[in-house]
Amino acid sequence: MPSSFYSLTQRIMAATLLALLPALVWAQATPTPNRVDGYGAPSTTAPTPPDPSNHGETEVNILSSYYQQDGDHGAVQGGRGTQYLTDLTPTIILNVPLDSVTRVSANVGVDYYASASTDRIDQVLSSPSAHDARYHVDLGYSRQLADKRTIVGVGGGFSKEYDYLSFNITGSWAHASLDGNRELSVAGQAFFDRATLILPAELRTGGGQEHGSGFDTRQSFNLNLVYSQVLTQRLQLAISTELVAQRGLLSTPFHRVYFRETGEALGKAKTERLPRQRYKYPVGLRLNYYATDLVQLRGYYRFYNDNFGITAHTLELETPVKVTPFFVLYPFYRYHTQTAANYFAPYLEHSVFDEFYTSDYDLAGFSAHKAGLGLRYSPVYGLGRFKTPFGGRVAKFKALDLRYAYYRQTTGLTANLISADLSFTMP
Amino acid sequence: MILPTVFSPRVRVVLGGLLLVGSSGLSSCVSVAAYQKMYLNDEDMKLANKRIEVYETNFESYREGAGGANGGKVGGGCGCN
Repeated sequence: MPSSFYSLTQRIMAATLLALLPALVWAQATPTPNRVDGYGAPSTTAPTPPDPSNHGETEVNILSSYYQQDGDHGAVQGGRGTQYLTDLTPTIILNVPLDSVTRVSANVGVDYYASASTDRIDQVLSSPSAHDARYHVDLGYSRQLADKRTIVGVGGGFSKEYDYLSFNITGSWAHASLDGNRELSVAGQAFFDRATLILPAELRTGGGQEHGSGFDTRQSFNLNLVYSQVLTQRLQLAISTELVAQRGLLSTPFHRVYFRETGEALGKAKTERLPRQRYKYPVGLRLNYYATDLVQLRGYYRFYNDNFGITAHTLELETPVKVTPFFVLYPFYRYHTQTAANYFAPYLEHSVFDEFYTSDYDLAGFSAHKAGLGLRYSPVYGLGRFKTPFGGRVAKFKALDLRYAYYRQTTGLTANLISADLSFTMP
Repeated sequence: MILPTVFSPRVRVVLGGLLLVGSSGLSSCVSVAAYQKMYLNDEDMKLANKRIEVYETNFESYREGAGGANGGKVGGGCGCN
């Protein structure tokens, strides 16, 4: 058996043990849905305990965001050039109780994005590649078992964009302790992707091919473990890990790399090349403290390590301030720092003798700051009511959440993001 | 627990620290009855990202090589170049 196999096995076992150790000691859970993206994963602990304000109502959330980034280290041009990108993402999330123990969920949305850097795949502006839309649909089913403390779920979905097709399946299990003070949840997810290989214009072979050569695949397997624990009447924590194993195409074919030996001559570049296997070992610690009726503290720390050589630390702090019982302002701050992947080098700094190479600054060493402000308005009787086309049922506009974030990396990349979440319920 | 030597000393220190924080937290916890959970049941005390944070988490998983354990997208389609 190859020694790398033992190394991998040891790493996975070690990370799993680290995540499970508290659970092995205490074995139990609180409401801890770690995933909110709806990528086929039913919210593992959604009705645990049942939301007292939700009496079997259908919940509808309309989410949307506008994202804009800019920088001058575009990977398409080998680590230089524009990173300007905009992304508009309307999404609808449905959560429908079929009976007192069963729920189905749906997450449907579109990403409309315009990327100035992908325009440079053809080395000319105004190509159709500058714009694209990604459609995604995810469905989930969850059921509370007879013991009232265990929830199981299954789900699946797909996403489609011009050069990328992805399917996913998921399964989850969550179990709470008798007193509801502890919870352990486990979710597994598998992605099966197919990418069209779009090469930079000057690297296409055969001359007549518009988009290089053929297809490639990628598989991703995620194991998400969350253990949460009530510590006092005002304090609770959660430890989580999300082990990831990926294999297949992990590089982006239209990312160029220029080498110091051959210079910047057009046609001398190669397409980015990365290993075809990647393993990630992140561990997160979340700590929430109800300081006063006016202010709460939400803290999160994450440690990350992977076999690409990246080590990272992320720290987040959010302090919700209750201006009134129904109006909350929550300033937040996030700090992230990571080391560069072993395969990263800036423009013209790779050698042609390197086995793997990328000039994608997402894999560079940098620090990032994010700060912003959110506000939530959720009056007890809702913001309004209106009749729906569905049998004249009356829907309640329950809550409004708005959020702005400013993000800056030491690479020079900056981003602005505005998000909105409109919550509705229907009896 | 002796952390496996496959991790570098620095990584072991961080993982050990996390473990210590988690374990010490657990050993100091008290049993909180359901009627005593008025603070813990507050919307802002949920041990999870807010739903509205999903977009930020997603773009961070694209723009930072170190993604995972935060509920962000770690597989599937791109949608962001």
